[in-house]
Amino acid sequence: MQLQLSVNGKTYSRMVEPRYLLADFLRHELGLKGTHIGCEHGVCGACTVLINGRTARSCLHFAIDVAGAELTTVEGLVDENDQLDPVQQAFRQHHALQCGFCTPGFLLTVHEFLGRNPDPTPAQIREALTNNICRCTGYANIVKAVSAAAAALRANAGTRQAEAS
Amino acid sequence: MTAVPRSGYIGRSVHRREDEYLLRGKGQFLDDLPEPRDTLHVALVLSPHAHARITRIDVSAAMALEGVVAVLTGAEMAKLVKPMDSGTTIDGYINSLRPVVATDKVRFVGEYVAVVLADHPYVAHDAAELVEVEYDSLPSVAHIEQAVVPDAPLVHDHIPGNVSFRSEFSTGDVAGAFSGDVLTLKESFRSGWVGGVPIEPRGCFALPEHVGDAITLYTSTQIPHIVRTGVADHVNMPESLLRVVVPEVGGGFGTKANVYPEEIIVVALARKFRRAVKWVQDRREELLNNIHARNHIYHVEAAFTRDGVITGLKLELLTNGGAYTSFPFGCTLEATGGARMIMGPYRIRNYAYRIACVVTNTCPAGAYRGVAQPSCFMAMEGMLDRIGRLLGIDPAEVRRRNLVQPSEMPWVNAVGVRYDTGSYAQCLERALEISGYAAIRARQSGGRLVDGKYRGIGICCFTESTGTGAPGWRARGLARVPGIDSAMIRIDPTGKVFATISQAGSGQGHLTTFAQLVADQVGARLEDVTIVEGDTALSPYGSGTVASRSAIAAGGAVIKAGRQVAAKIRRLAADRLEVSPDDILLSDGRAHVAGVPELGIDFRQLARWAYGFDAPLPEGEQHGLEASDVYDPPMVTIANAVHIAMVAVDPQDATVTIEKYVVVHDCGRVINPMIVDGQIHGGVVQGIGGALMEEFVYDDEGQMVNASLLDYLLPTSMDAPDFVIEHIETPTTDALGGFKGVGEAGVIGAIPAVVNAVADALADRAANVNQIPLRPSYIYRLLHGAS
Amino acid sequence: MKPAPFRYFAPATLAGALDLLAEHGEEARILAGGQSLVPLMNLRVLKPASLISINHCPELDYIRATPDAIVIGAAARQAAGEESAEVARHCPLLAATLPFVGGAANRNRGTICGSLAHADPLAELPACAIALEAEFVLARAGGRRTVPARQFFVAELTNCLDSGEMLEAVRFPSVRDADVRAAFVEVGNRKHGFAVAGVAVQFALDAAGRCADVRIAGIGFGPVPRRFTSSEDLLAGARPSEAVFLEAGKLASGESGGGSDIHADAAYRKAMAGVLVERALRKALSTSGRA
Repeated sequence: MQLQLSVNGKTYSRMVEPRYLLADFLRHELGLKGTHIGCEHGVCGACTVLINGRTARSCLHFAIDVAGAELTTVEGLVDENDQLDPVQQAFRQHHALQCGFCTPGFLLTVHEFLGRNPDPTPAQIREALTNNICRCTGYANIVKAVSAAAAALRANAGTRQAEAS
Repeated sequence: MTAVPRSGYIGRSVHRREDEYLLRGKGQFLDDLPEPRDTLHVALVLSPHAHARITRIDVSAAMALEGVVAVLTGAEMAKLVKPMDSGTTIDGYINSLRPVVATDKVRFVGEYVAVVLADHPYVAHDAAELVEVEYDSLPSVAHIEQAVVPDAPLVHDHIPGNVSFRSEFSTGDVAGAFSGDVLTLKESFRSGWVGGVPIEPRGCFALPEHVGDAITLYTSTQIPHIVRTGVADHVNMPESLLRVVVPEVGGGFGTKANVYPEEIIVVALARKFRRAVKWVQDRREELLNNIHARNHIYHVEAAFTRDGVITGLKLELLTNGGAYTSFPFGCTLEATGGARMIMGPYRIRNYAYRIACVVTNTCPAGAYRGVAQPSCFMAMEGMLDRIGRLLGIDPAEVRRRNLVQPSEMPWVNAVGVRYDTGSYAQCLERALEISGYAAIRARQSGGRLVDGKYRGIGICCFTESTGTGAPGWRARGLARVPGIDSAMIRIDPTGKVFATISQAGSGQGHLTTFAQLVADQVGARLEDVTIVEGDTALSPYGSGTVASRSAIAAGGAVIKAGRQVAAKIRRLAADRLEVSPDDILLSDGRAHVAGVPELGIDFRQLARWAYGFDAPLPEGEQHGLEASDVYDPPMVTIANAVHIAMVAVDPQDATVTIEKYVVVHDCGRVINPMIVDGQIHGGVVQGIGGALMEEFVYDDEGQMVNASLLDYLLPTSMDAPDFVIEHIETPTTDALGGFKGVGEAGVIGAIPAVVNAVADALADRAANVNQIPLRPSYIYRLLHGAS
Repeated sequence: MKPAPFRYFAPATLAGALDLLAEHGEEARILAGGQSLVPLMNLRVLKPASLISINHCPELDYIRATPDAIVIGAAARQAAGEESAEVARHCPLLAATLPFVGGAANRNRGTICGSLAHADPLAELPACAIALEAEFVLARAGGRRTVPARQFFVAELTNCLDSGEMLEAVRFPSVRDADVRAAFVEVGNRKHGFAVAGVAVQFALDAAGRCADVRIAGIGFGPVPRRFTSSEDLLAGARPSEAVFLEAGKLASGESGGGSDIHADAAYRKAMAGVLVERALRKALSTSGRA
C-alpha cells in the first residue's frame, strides 16, 4: 500500500506491506537506523520516536497506520551543522550512555519530558524515565544528565528570551 | 613489577569518543549493517518441548511459500557442521556434544529443529511457522532437585544421575577445625536462573567475499577470536578464510561471550549458498536461548570461635548447567568459580568443598557478569552476618576479625589463588564511615522499624577474580579460552598512532580508555591515537572481553608493545639529536631531549624517516614503526571492594526500596574513573535486579513461563539508587600496569549487600533470608510466617 | 518475531468501520492505539486476518461532557484523557488512574476504549469502569446497544463483544456531588509497571462530612475487576477515619480472591486487597475534592 509521511522534516513516499512495523520501516526502508529494536512488545523503549511531537513506541505501530504523520527520530535531534543538542551534550558530559543501544529512546523521552517539566527534581526524572530500560548505566548518570540538560535548556530559553526582548 | 609512571592520560575522566556517533544514532549495531540485496534471512524453528524425540519433520509447506529459498533440518545441517564440543578438560567432567540443530532429540524448549532461509525476514518467520514437526514427548527434569532424584529421567543417556561434573577437594585440617571449642552453623542459600538480558538481542551475519572463499562473520559477540576458531573448526573451513568483525554491541554482560549455534549456521549456509546469510534474534528467543546463569544451591557450614573467628568452612555447591555444555565456558565455570572464590578476603585455611553441575532440560548455562561470585558471596557474607547475630557481635566486627590484613599479603587462599595486593580492611573502614554505619546501628537498638518501615543495612566485603591468564583457565578446565591477549601499536607515516587490541567492547569505552593507555605508552597526543578492536583481520589473537580482563590483559599487551615502539622512537630520535636514547622523553607526539624541550622532533618526521621517506636508517635498524606483543596475565588478579546497601522494607506490602548505596572500590590503577564508576553503577543495578526481581521461571515440565519483558522484570530508574563511590588504588604487583579489573564488581557486591540488608531489616522478625529473588510476596511470607 | 500478514483498512467514518467489521467478521480486529494488540501480534499469539484501523476516523476521537457523563470515543487517546479538563472535573477517578497506565509513550497512542476492550485482568482502566459502573456503547452495522461494565468484562482478556461489533464509546458517569475524592493505587514487583494488584476508590463527602456513594474496585483479585461491596457498605454514611479505613481494608482482604502465579501468591494478593483499599482511601481523602 502507498504510504506518505514526514520524518525529521523530510517527506517520504513508499510502498509498504500493511504489517511492516514502523521501526523496521524507519530502519530498513528509510535507512534511519538510530531507532533500535529491543523487544517488540513495547516494554524496553529503545524504539521510541516522536509521532506528531509525542513519544511513541515504533515497534508497536504499523508504518501504514501512521500515514500523514510527522515523525522525529534521533537523527533529527542534531542541528543543521550536525551539532549535538543540549540533551545529547549533557548525556556525553555525564557519561549517561555506555553501549548506546537504548540511548536514542531515552533522548526522545527526555525531550518530551523536559518540554512539559522544564525544572524537574531527580525523583521526577526517575519517574519519567521508568519506562525506558537501560541495562548498562544503572541510571544514575542519566538522571544527572537530564538535570544538567534541563538547566541548559532553561538557560537557552532565557537567552533567547533576552535576545527577543 | 614495573608500574607505568603516573602521567598524561591515565587516571583522567576523558569523555568518550564513542559518544559522538552513538548519540547521533550512528552506531552500527548488527542489524544496522548494510545488506546485499540477495541476503538470505534466517528464521529458526524452536522446539516447544523440553524433552522429546523428533518423529517427523515436513518442510514442504514452508518451502512452498514465495520467497523461501531453503529449509534445512538437523540431518541436513549435520552434513555441513560438526556438533558443538566445548572441549572442557577437567577431572570429574563428562562431556556432551550439542548438535547445532537437533536431529533426533530435543532437550530444552527453544532448541533449534530447523533453519529457514528466505529473501525477507518477515517471510522467514512466516515459513518457520509452516514447518510441521511431530514430537514424542519424553519425561523431563527442569529443576536441580528434580534432576538429582534417583531414577530421574536422564537429559543425556551417557550422563548418569544428570551430574555432568563433580569435584571435591579438602585442604588444611577440616576435621580439626570443626572439633574442639568451636561453634558451627549450617545454612543453605539459593539463587534462581537469571541472564544478562542486554537491550540488544543477538544477531550474526555472514558475508562471503566477492572473490575467493573467504567469509566475514559479523556477530554481536565479546569473544571474536574464540568465535573465529570455534566456528571455523565446526564448519570445517580454514580459520584463515574466516574473518570475524564485531559491530557495536548493545550490551554483553557475558551473554554474548559464547559461541552460539547460529554463528555456525550462518557461516555454513553462507558457504553453501555463496550468499550473505543473516540472523537477528528477537526478545523471546533472547530470553529462551541466550545462556542462562546462577541457578545455584549452596549448603555451607562454618566452624568458628566464640569471638567469631572462622576456623573452617565446608561447602556443597550444586549448579544448574542446563541441557548442554555451552562453548567455551561450559558447565564447570560456575561450580569451580564458586568453590574457588567463596573464601573472599577472609583468612580461611581449613576448607573442603564438594561441587557438582547438574544437567536439566533447560537453556544451557554460561557466563553472566560475576559468574558464581554474586552467589558465593551471598552465601559467605550471609554466614558472617549469621555468625554475628548468633554471637551478638556486630557483622562489621565479625568481618574485621576474619579479614586478611595487609601484613599477610601476598596471600594464597585455600585453593591456591594468590592475592598479591589488596585493601580489604581499608575499604571496609572507609565504607562503614561513609555509610554512617555506627549511627545506623545505634538507631537500630530500638528495633528495625524506623519511620514506619523496616530498615536494614547490609555489607558485602569481597574479592573479585579478574584478569585470568592461561593457567587460570586451564585450572577450570576451559580448553577453548586461550588466556592471552595481544596488542599491535603502529605509528603511521603521518605520525598518527594506530593500535589494535584483541578485545571487543560492548559499552566499556575501550576506544577511549585504550587510547589513553596507548597515548601514555608512546608519548602521543590522545587525539592522534586511534583504537581498533573486534576485527580478527586486524586484531591479534586473544581471549576477548570477559571476566573483567581488558585493562589487565589487553593493557599489559599494550604496555609491552608500547615499550617496543617507544624504545624505537627514542633510538631514532637519539640518533638524530645525537644524544643517548635514555635522554629522550616522549610526550605530545614529540620526542625531545630531557630538560631541553626545544630540542626535539615530532613523530611525523621520525615516522617518515622510519618508513624510508628520508635518509637511510641507522645501522641495524629495521624500517617501520610498529610492534606487536602478547601478554599472558597472572593466573588471576584479585581486586576487592566493599558494598554497603541501606534498604527499607514496607511492612504492609513488603516492597524493598534501596535508600542509599555505598561502594569503596579497589581495582588498582584506574585508567578512566568516570568509566569505572559507570561500570559499577550498571553492575550494581543488575545485582539489584537479581536480588529483588529477576528470575527465569520454568515450570515442572521445563516450559519457561516468563519469556517476555512483561514477566522477566528488569530494574528501571525508579528501582535504582543514587551512588556514593570512592576509589582506593592498590596497584597489583603481579600484573603489568598495576591494573585490576572492575567490570563485574557491581553485580558481585550488590546481590550479597542487598540480601544482607533485607535480612537485617527483618532481623526483628527472625526471618531467614537465604534465597533470591526477594519478591515482595516472598518477603511478605517471611514477615508473616509461611502458610 | 514479526507479525503475520493481514489486510489493512483505514475507514474515515464509524459507518465505514462497522461495514468492514460486518464483512470481515470473526477474523477482524479493531486497531486503535495498538499498545495491547500489537505486542500480541508481534509474538504471533494473535493473527487477525484483517485490521480495521480507527486512527484515521476523527468522528471517534472525542472526549465530551454531557449533562451526566463523560463520553469517550473509541479513538480518544489516554493522554488526551489525562490532559482533559472535562475528565479532571467530571471524572476524577479516571483522571487519577490514567497516569498509572503504562508510560507516556504508551498513553500518547493507547486509547481509553482500547485498554478497556482488551480486558487485561491487571489493566487499570477496567477497575475505573467497574467502580463507576461505566456504560459501554457497542456498535454494529445497523445498530448499537449499551451494556454496563460488569457485563462487558466477561473473563480474562475476554469482553462481551459479538462478532461484527466494536466498542464505539464508553460513558463514565459524571460526579454529581460537590465534594468527591478519588484515587488509584497499585503494587508490583518493581517500583513501576505491571501491577500485582491495584485498587480504585471514589467517594463523596456530604455536607456533614460523611462518606456517600462509595466505589471501591480492585484488579489482580480475579479474571475481571471486582467491587469490594462490603467495604463500600461499611463506609457508606461513616465519617472517614484511619479506623474505618483499616476496617474497610480488612473486609476487602477477608473476601478477596486472587490466585498464585510467578509474581505473587494468593496469600499476598489477599493481604494486598486490604493494604491497597486502605491506601487508596487515605490517598483519596487527601485529594482536594472537586470545586
